[in-house]
Amino acid sequence: MAQPFPYTYYACDCYDSNGTSSTKRASQLLREAEEDERTFDPRSPRANYSLYPLEHLLYCEDCQQVRCPRCIIEETLNWYCPSCLFEVPSSVVKSDGNRCTRSCFSCPLCTSPMQTFSLDTTGESAPPFILECQYCRWSTLEIGIEFEKGQGIAAQLARLGNGGKHIPTNKERDKERERRKEIEGRKARDVLSPSTESTNTDADRDDEPPSHDDLFSNLTAFYKSQVDAQTPSNPFSSHDINFSSPSAYSRIMNLYSTTGSKKNKRSKPSAMREAASSLEGLTLHDPANEAAAIERIKKEGWGVTLSPAQKHAQINPNVRFVDQLRPLATLLCTKRSKRCRSCRQILTKPESKMTSTRYKIKLLALNHIPRLSIRALNATPPIPVASRPADSFDYNALKPGMPSHFLLHLSNPLFDPIKVTLATPSTTPGRVQSRVTILCPQFDVGANTDIWDDALSSSLSPMRRGSQLPDQAPQIEAGKIWDRGRNWTSVAVEIVPGFTDAVGSDGQNELEEDEDVLEIPIFVRIEYETDAGADERGLGDSRGSKGEQEKREEAFWTVVGVGRIKG
Amino acid sequence: MSTSGERKVSASLGRSVRGAAPRLADLASTPEAPRTPTLGRSVSSLFGSPGGSFRTDDDYVVIEVGARFVRAGFPGESTPRCTLAFDPDNQRRVGDYRQWDPECAQKRSNPNKGQDWGQEFELYRMDLSRVDLGVVEDKFERVMRDVYNKYFVLDTKPRRILLALPPKMPHPLMSTLLDVLFGGVQAPSITLMSSPVLSTVAAGLRSALVVDIGWAETLVTAVCEYREVHEQRTVRAGKLLSEEMAKVLNAALDEHVGYQEGDDISFEEAEEVLSRVGWCKSKPRSNRRTLYFPARTSPILEEFEDAVETPEPTMTIPLPKASPPSEITVPFATLAKPADNALFATETALNEFDDHELPLHHLIYRALLFLPMDVRRLCMSRIVITGGVSALPGLKSRILAELEALVQAKGWDPVRNYGTASARHEQILRQQRDARELRRQEGDDTITEPLDPDSPLPAGLRGHEEDSIDAKLAHVALRNGPPPASLAGGIVRGVETLGPWAGASLVAQQRIRGIVEIDRERYLQHGLQGASKEKEVSVVPQRQSMGPGVVRGAGERASWTLGVWA
Repeated sequence: MAQPFPYTYYACDCYDSNGTSSTKRASQLLREAEEDERTFDPRSPRANYSLYPLEHLLYCEDCQQVRCPRCIIEETLNWYCPSCLFEVPSSVVKSDGNRCTRSCFSCPLCTSPMQTFSLDTTGESAPPFILECQYCRWSTLEIGIEFEKGQGIAAQLARLGNGGKHIPTNKERDKERERRKEIEGRKARDVLSPSTESTNTDADRDDEPPSHDDLFSNLTAFYKSQVDAQTPSNPFSSHDINFSSPSAYSRIMNLYSTTGSKKNKRSKPSAMREAASSLEGLTLHDPANEAAAIERIKKEGWGVTLSPAQKHAQINPNVRFVDQLRPLATLLCTKRSKRCRSCRQILTKPESKMTSTRYKIKLLALNHIPRLSIRALNATPPIPVASRPADSFDYNALKPGMPSHFLLHLSNPLFDPIKVTLATPSTTPGRVQSRVTILCPQFDVGANTDIWDDALSSSLSPMRRGSQLPDQAPQIEAGKIWDRGRNWTSVAVEIVPGFTDAVGSDGQNELEEDEDVLEIPIFVRIEYETDAGADERGLGDSRGSKGEQEKREEAFWTVVGVGRIKG
Repeated sequence: MSTSGERKVSASLGRSVRGAAPRLADLASTPEAPRTPTLGRSVSSLFGSPGGSFRTDDDYVVIEVGARFVRAGFPGESTPRCTLAFDPDNQRRVGDYRQWDPECAQKRSNPNKGQDWGQEFELYRMDLSRVDLGVVEDKFERVMRDVYNKYFVLDTKPRRILLALPPKMPHPLMSTLLDVLFGGVQAPSITLMSSPVLSTVAAGLRSALVVDIGWAETLVTAVCEYREVHEQRTVRAGKLLSEEMAKVLNAALDEHVGYQEGDDISFEEAEEVLSRVGWCKSKPRSNRRTLYFPARTSPILEEFEDAVETPEPTMTIPLPKASPPSEITVPFATLAKPADNALFATETALNEFDDHELPLHHLIYRALLFLPMDVRRLCMSRIVITGGVSALPGLKSRILAELEALVQAKGWDPVRNYGTASARHEQILRQQRDARELRRQEGDDTITEPLDPDSPLPAGLRGHEEDSIDAKLAHVALRNGPPPASLAGGIVRGVETLGPWAGASLVAQQRIRGIVEIDRERYLQHGLQGASKEKEVSVVPQRQSMGPGVVRGAGERASWTLGVWA
């Protein structure tokens, strides 16, 4: 795993509870019932989707359950560009899309941010301007684009095609289409009396195939005209009567006007037809394009082509060569509040200010779920990597077959003492089977009281930490905890890492990725008594009156990554 | 308004109670004499109550789900907002950032043993016996969350979904996908459209033969008037192609110096090579000898093109993930071999293929052969080739050329082999063709004027009489009817399409409602079992549903169907 050892993942069990049972077959349900009794397998393909580091989890106080990213609903509060920190109003997001409309672009080759530079040699910032990537030095010069102004690059780029050509706007496209249609119509009328004039209009027609956008807008216009021709101006013939739209009103108003009834006497509409020309979006297959592409690949080689990742990042993914690339406008980021999926309570809500990273509401699992961690017994407590002594325990080289001791450390964020029960399968699932024994699976953890309470109480009763008297090294004993503090307890675990070469017996010699990682699923169950309604924070829970003690319990699977077996 | 409105309501109620249900036609034809449209008033007073609109403002999002990619965007846009692939990197645990680790970027990721080629790169496969639907759900859910939170960044307003799916999907798989869309993204309703039909729409056609060369299989669908009428499949598609490419590259690696045993090309590398420099010979070669060339087109031209270039062009492919990082140089022609082997199987005789692994051109030919003659006429000149592999340069031309050759050689004869009579059959065919050719040649110089006025030409040799009325009608048809270009048929012709996603975007933009429309509440109640058994549901609403006692709005239907997916 990419996380440094040792680590702990928490499993959110939402995946088998939120499915709609109606669609599940009986066999599936049966399998699920079995699964309830089975231990959690960190190697199952589904585990990747239910395991989270504790920091990524939220906690719904109403449901008293952990909430992972898939059992929450997110609501966007505001939009902003991560590179210019400009807040984008929602109306602009709707109309202009999810990308920054100012001058923020990232490189289409290496995705690092691009900067605007002036090509002017006099040192002043004067036109022409270009965008250049600071990392790989790709610039818009390579696709033949220069800008006249240094601001509002996005708007300029929308009008500039690669090679400095002009990209028509939708309106211009419509106009151009009308013009050409007229020419064609004239030609069609001239069919019986062919004239020489029609040939030269052919000549000024595009010598290159229409672009993806051109075709799409042609098709759109074609279908619109066809659908309009199909829909009579009568309000009741169309099946969706929608009184909220102005067009419906106009149709109703048409009824009352005298012209409306005359229109309907038109002969029956002709059937919707197919597109007939490229102005209507029809493109016939042209082998010449493909042949040209092959020639180009043959001549210019690997370097002119694009990798799949570069292609998919493009707005139009149907590109093949480097000179078809476009700079990528930065995707907008959002600030989102999160709600519990089942009770709709807000779990987090960030401050709406762009530069603020604070939250108005933040219900983290960190504050409600005990934190479980593991470390080698003889290792010093986790300290920064840089200062770690050289002889410290190497988690990346566990010796197979050598029993070694680890400490499970459980710290309690709650204000009530908890009773903890740990359970783990005696051998880890998977092909590399390691034996695991938790020496003291049941123990108590103190409340997360004020830090001074701890100091005071420990001074009053120093004997509480029985096992850690200075002159007596703690013993590893079954049924006894290793050590405890104010709100934490640690217990010893004995682990015998399995043999990785034993895997070869079933014919498949090689280990799969991460199969040599020793991960232990541990089931944690905690029980505690708390003031009912104490942490409801006056939300009006009528069940428990003040002062009444309520018993609560929580249970979840965790996965502890101990290290990598080597040997 | 109130009293009169009331009266009108009761009047209309009375009418429907009496059983004289007014037909839609009554509504459609506006009477000659101007009078108050009674029903109009009553309808508005009926439904004018809260909200007024019983179809909530239809905001759609358009999603296309394929085996390896999800495309999603908004209607009216020419390209999707995002095209997301399923790859192992985005299927890792949260907090596992190893893909950004520079060390890991240098390493080749070995596929897990026991998995098929590229299995971890796909969302689903049609054979559900080896698919864990739970994993499919997890993968799809994560991707959809990404789509909505990263690329759509919408407000919370629920939006309908137009979902483009391949036709014929296993129901458990469909309900898994729908579960995610209804549960995870809370769509109020989902319209399903089959991707061949959408490809047809995106090509500007109504009928087409859609050849979707996808990941696991190639699907040939004949679409006639926006309906799937016939379907054929083969496994010769992207997966086989990339496997072949890996074989070619491995063979090249073997000869490379510094090659270590077992250091094979990974899936990503094969994919990248294929999509960057893979190509396909656009001229069929294998059946050159059997191909019949009409006298006018000389085969010399093609022979010339096949001449070996000197020096042989090569391609240098960098392999930065090999250990040690290296470059291999392969002849350019070998990069066209995978397509030849995987898609056309030029080396194998036709009788050795199983039904599920026909080469593409034979598959298309067979699909056309199955069609009725009139549909075939439409479909053969509207061959739409789409799908991820179709971007391979030269492939479309090759398919069309191969098909053309097949049609020329065999005609539309369902008999594949005449046995001992085959020689005779060939002869008949050749004679027919020669006769046609001859006729066409003579067509240019027909005798219009009888040379000898005394002995008129026999009627059989005379040209048609020119009827002035016919000419006029033709002229009128030309002006008012569809342009002749849209009626083309009978020749093998390829038409380009913008792809299913663009088609879905067009459909959603025109607010065309699909046959298969699944309502959230109904789906959550009954699942896919709630669909009625009929394949077709009338899109034109029944008059009865407009009655006063009906709670449902006109936008909803009494029952829903699964259409082609049923």
